[in-house]
Amino acid sequence: MDKYEKLEKVGEGTYGKVYKAKDKTSGQLVALKKTRLEMDEEGVPPTALREVSLLQMLSQCLYVVRLLCVEHVDKNGKPLLYLVFEYLDTDLKKFIDSHRKGPNPRPLPTPLLQSFLYQLCKGVAHCHSHGVLHRDLKPQNLLVDNDRGILKIADLGLGRAFTVPLKSYTHEIVTLWYRAPEVLLGSTHYSTGVDMWSVGCIFAEMVRRQALFPGDSEFQQLLHIFRLLGTPTEKQWPGVSSLRDWHVYPQWEPQNLARAVPSLGPDGVDLLSKMLKYDPAERISAKAALDHPYFDSLDKSQF
Amino acid sequence: MEFDLENPLTSFKEHQSDTMPALFASESDHMPSLSFFRSHISFRRQAISLILQAQYSCNFDPFIPYLAVNYMDRFISTQEMPQGKPWIVRLVVIACLSLSSKMKNTHFSLSDFQREEGFIFDAQTIQRMEILVLTALKWRMRSITPFSFLHFFVSLFELKDPPLMRALKDRATDIIFKAHHEIKLVEFKPSIIAASALLSACHELFPLQFTSFNNAISSCEYVNKERLLSCFGVMEEMVVMDGNESMFDGASSAKTPVSVLDRDRHCSNLESETTTTTNNTVGVTAEKRDVKRRKMNGFCSGNTFQLSQIQHC
Repeated sequence: MDKYEKLEKVGEGTYGKVYKAKDKTSGQLVALKKTRLEMDEEGVPPTALREVSLLQMLSQCLYVVRLLCVEHVDKNGKPLLYLVFEYLDTDLKKFIDSHRKGPNPRPLPTPLLQSFLYQLCKGVAHCHSHGVLHRDLKPQNLLVDNDRGILKIADLGLGRAFTVPLKSYTHEIVTLWYRAPEVLLGSTHYSTGVDMWSVGCIFAEMVRRQALFPGDSEFQQLLHIFRLLGTPTEKQWPGVSSLRDWHVYPQWEPQNLARAVPSLGPDGVDLLSKMLKYDPAERISAKAALDHPYFDSLDKSQF
Repeated sequence: MEFDLENPLTSFKEHQSDTMPALFASESDHMPSLSFFRSHISFRRQAISLILQAQYSCNFDPFIPYLAVNYMDRFISTQEMPQGKPWIVRLVVIACLSLSSKMKNTHFSLSDFQREEGFIFDAQTIQRMEILVLTALKWRMRSITPFSFLHFFVSLFELKDPPLMRALKDRATDIIFKAHHEIKLVEFKPSIIAASALLSACHELFPLQFTSFNNAISSCEYVNKERLLSCFGVMEEMVVMDGNESMFDGASSAKTPVSVLDRDRHCSNLESETTTTTNNTVGVTAEKRDVKRRKMNGFCSGNTFQLSQIQHC
């Protein structure tokens, strides 16, 4: 690890602390993530091995933050693993914030918004085609290369991979605001739809420059969703009332989604409504989203 | 999140067609670079014989030694390997087997293996070796192998009858296992090995379908026809040699109690048995396997002459 000069702590990732650092020889900036993966008598832990090699494979995609290498250090005789990622100077949360407040508040230009959403769907489609759910998509986890207009998915944590048939997962994963209703209602068999719900919330947030469903508890989160999209019914979402945490809720009628995203055109609203379908099976897939008419005016050859 | 060699990208069935281009595009990253062969042939031979020995004594799923050989090939192709130090071969083999069994989520008992070997490495040494291998391989441990392409190529086969497709795939799988130890085949991409093995299996099992299957595979955009042809040639030679083992036995000076190719036959039997155990009632097959294992151990132990000869197995 002498290769790197730690510059500052930039955050807490799923694994632990994240540092901005500089490669002393090349001058390249990197993000260092110290993992909690300690080695034992059996050597490299099998889960670490399988997960890191999966991460390594996923990061071949331009829209996923690149894992540059894995370093190991001996700390008091205890080897620790560090993941070395490419460093990007900003994230989508900061990016949106800079358009909402500060000296020059302004909407995100439509072409940029389309481009970011398209890249996000590309990255998510890539993860899903490799059998990996992100499960914690949020603006803070989407890194932005301002100069090149590139958006990359970061913080693909460990233990995220799934195989067919789907296993049960603990449901304490997604940050509340972007958490899909099936997760909030205690479903243990969820799939790619959880990421698409988050993508929908992020899409709306880019348009509004503020969160679509800013709940501060699981219950409040559900109420935020129900107030806008209506309280879900068995007809809309078969099986909803048998989910573990389903209760009797106030009966809200669905509102006009377009009013929540006033500056978005009809194609955009249509795509958003497909990402925010209650029934996860009906929710649009990342791959199908790429072909949605909302992106017709986007020059796709650049991706 | 198991690592399945037939589906290294862990993708859903409905996604598999999307990931095929990615597999073809990155398969070369999982091949050894070719420059090493001249200097490492004997290292490789010794390592493979050790890996096979471990396969018999630990009764591994055959994919574990397969993956270990893949790691070992890729590792030694990035390094100068010191000559004349047999312990290094053993250490590399132990690290590769340990990594491959971890990827397959199987317990590999180092102490059992080491007891038979007579060399004991401490945990820290093995761990360091694991890290060296991981670093050299850039942690690309989800190897893309010929098995990753079987499903895709089988889908091009004209007869869609599941038992026939199964038979074709099973025979091709056997051939791929054997082909891994054939040094002449190391230069071919995993997809080409898979296509050749299927053609070879088709030639053997469904000769009438051979022409159309060959046409279908050769016209696939990802397949280089010349490479396929030359790989198929080498493979047929290997398969024919294998089929004529009794003739070969007679012709070669073969005073050895068990010839190389005979051993080879046992080796493939063992493989197919291990794969079927999962589906069958454990009792019967396990018993059969025990007998086989004892036989294996019988000619594994002590006979260094044989061990140095088994690179074809």
